Amino acid sequence: MAETVKLFVNGQEVEVESGKNLIDAFKVIGVEIPHFCYHPALGADGNCRMCLVGIEDGRPPLVPACKTPVAEGLKVQLDTEKIKKIQHDVMELELINHPTDCPVCDQAGECTLQDYYMTYDHQASRMRVPQVLKGKKMDFGCGVIHDQERCVLCARCVRFTRLITKTGELGIVNRSDEARVTTFPGRKLDNRYALNVVDLCPVGAMTSKDFRFKQRAWFLSRSSGICHGCAKGCNIFIDHNREKGGDDRIYRFRARHNGLVNGYFICDAGRLSYHQENEGRLGTTRLAGKDCTIDEAVETARRKIENARKPLFLISPNCTLEQMIAIKGLATARKGRVSGYSDSYIMEGDGDDFLIRDDKSANRAGFAALGIDTTLEAFRLALNEADLLVNFNNDLLRSEASGTFTEKLSALTVIAVSSHDNTLTRKATVAFSVSSYSEYGGTIINQDQILQRFTAAVVKNDPVPNMIEVVRLLGGPVTDDVTITKAMQDAIPVLAGIEATAFPTAGLNLKEKETDHVTA
Amino acid sequence: MTVKIKTLERQGSTFIEKLYLVEVFRGMRTTFGHFWRILLDNSKSYVRHYPEVKPEITPRWRGRHRLTTHEDGTMKCVACFMCQTNCPSHCISIEAGERVDGKSEKMPIRFEIDLLECIYCGYCVEACPMDAIRMDTGIYSVISSERSSVVKGMDELLATPGAFSEEDYKKRGL
Repeated sequence: MAETVKLFVNGQEVEVESGKNLIDAFKVIGVEIPHFCYHPALGADGNCRMCLVGIEDGRPPLVPACKTPVAEGLKVQLDTEKIKKIQHDVMELELINHPTDCPVCDQAGECTLQDYYMTYDHQASRMRVPQVLKGKKMDFGCGVIHDQERCVLCARCVRFTRLITKTGELGIVNRSDEARVTTFPGRKLDNRYALNVVDLCPVGAMTSKDFRFKQRAWFLSRSSGICHGCAKGCNIFIDHNREKGGDDRIYRFRARHNGLVNGYFICDAGRLSYHQENEGRLGTTRLAGKDCTIDEAVETARRKIENARKPLFLISPNCTLEQMIAIKGLATARKGRVSGYSDSYIMEGDGDDFLIRDDKSANRAGFAALGIDTTLEAFRLALNEADLLVNFNNDLLRSEASGTFTEKLSALTVIAVSSHDNTLTRKATVAFSVSSYSEYGGTIINQDQILQRFTAAVVKNDPVPNMIEVVRLLGGPVTDDVTITKAMQDAIPVLAGIEATAFPTAGLNLKEKETDHVTA
Repeated sequence: MTVKIKTLERQGSTFIEKLYLVEVFRGMRTTFGHFWRILLDNSKSYVRHYPEVKPEITPRWRGRHRLTTHEDGTMKCVACFMCQTNCPSHCISIEAGERVDGKSEKMPIRFEIDLLECIYCGYCVEACPMDAIRMDTGIYSVISSERSSVVKGMDELLATPGAFSEEDYKKRGL
């Protein structure tokens, strides 16, 4: 912990980190100061007045907590009658024109206004005049739906487009009860991070068109995960639910804070990439295009691998380190070649300087850490010599550039171990259905050499095996956790010094430890 | 606090009672007394002649569910999922969608109640913020030869009328 200061909260002495404002500093020690407009990523705006706190013997005696840095000996009052009255009055003001349409509002259940009403207000409305009516269900573009009546004018969304994306599509027009958030005429939201305003909005004013009416917030289980959309490895919440009579299904991704990787935000493409976890999956294990049991498939695949003179094992750059180690073990045992060639995952020029990366795979850095070749030359050479291709979830033909392989591939026997249905699984002699990244756990390294761990979030009714399990069935020697951990520690020595339970939640920056890091 | 103890006298310990046979015939006298009385004059029966005579249902009685409508015929339900959330037997399943009749923003596109799973507790009625679901149809008998027809869909729930006038329903005192 950085430097600390001692101050008083409601007469009680506490020690908090210095250099923060009161809201952030107190949050760490479990003291909540209510606020609408303040957000750590957007800074203090001080417009909502909900975070006003009293300072004993202070000049002025009332300060907004978001704009007040912690100071030695500060006597902060949070529970005086005056502060409670202010919180109550601010809540009453916010609710004057609030439509209270919680039954149809997607935010209900995770709404700051609802929570604060129960904690700080809890009074019936005194308003006897008709409410001001504003625009509802306005399409702001980029899949954002805005409801002006629900808005508390905290300006988080406005500040997001100005400070973070620097596009400034949103603004607040008019004053007093006519004030409203809107876009400029004919210029809707147009940036690749726009859906973050849905997360940012403390109330239900900004909702996602994609998630609209799909689920109520309280039905969803929130599991932590890592987005596999690009090489950034943004941290996400995987919100999923098993409906009555249905299967465990993902309904949305939300940004999860990780200061080391993505901060508070994720891109829209990553946010909507949950669709790929639900759809287009290779549901069943197939033998020559027909559904079969896993035993039949294993028998055929084993025979083919054993009979092959030069098998080529192609690994997806989305595989975890554990999976890569297991596959490498199998390849070594079968005297085959391993390739991580996956140029088809790279979309040149698509990335930006914020979160989106050119490389649309999650663990390419893992190839380097484990010494797996990824070059086109080596792959082409291996492919020409090979008589069997065992493809581990590598979507080789996902982009046009890979079309040159189709001729060679058509002459080759292919065994596909895949989570999704693609061209290669359709032409494969044997296709194993395996779990995807929301259903297994593992370790990945992102483009900035941050090593992150994630655990399984979704548990299907009929779970398909993890890729490591299929590798074991195919005769891979390295498949149990202990051996894999050992191999991983050999490849990344810094891991050896870290207990599994003490692994940092934000991930491990491998660059910082470069001095004692020796690549295998 | 003192515990009150009431001692009950144990019956059946006399010699005649222990013979059983005498007691059996005394019991049969009661049974056949009723038998002959009802056989000679059916109207003297103490029980209701169900199903020819139906019981009187009060507005408080929780029967089969229905979905209510506004006066213009549009559905009151806004698919807030309160009933589904509150349901202890998980018999309600709803799928929400965009509202098309201009009343609000949201409406159910699928609303199913599995009457075999329902325990008729009435929590859905209590939870509903729109007074959209009621159990005032007065239907207490749900019979079917197949399971699927006991899962009531939205159309059927909307089509079922209430058995009471609006005033009587409001007066039920809940």
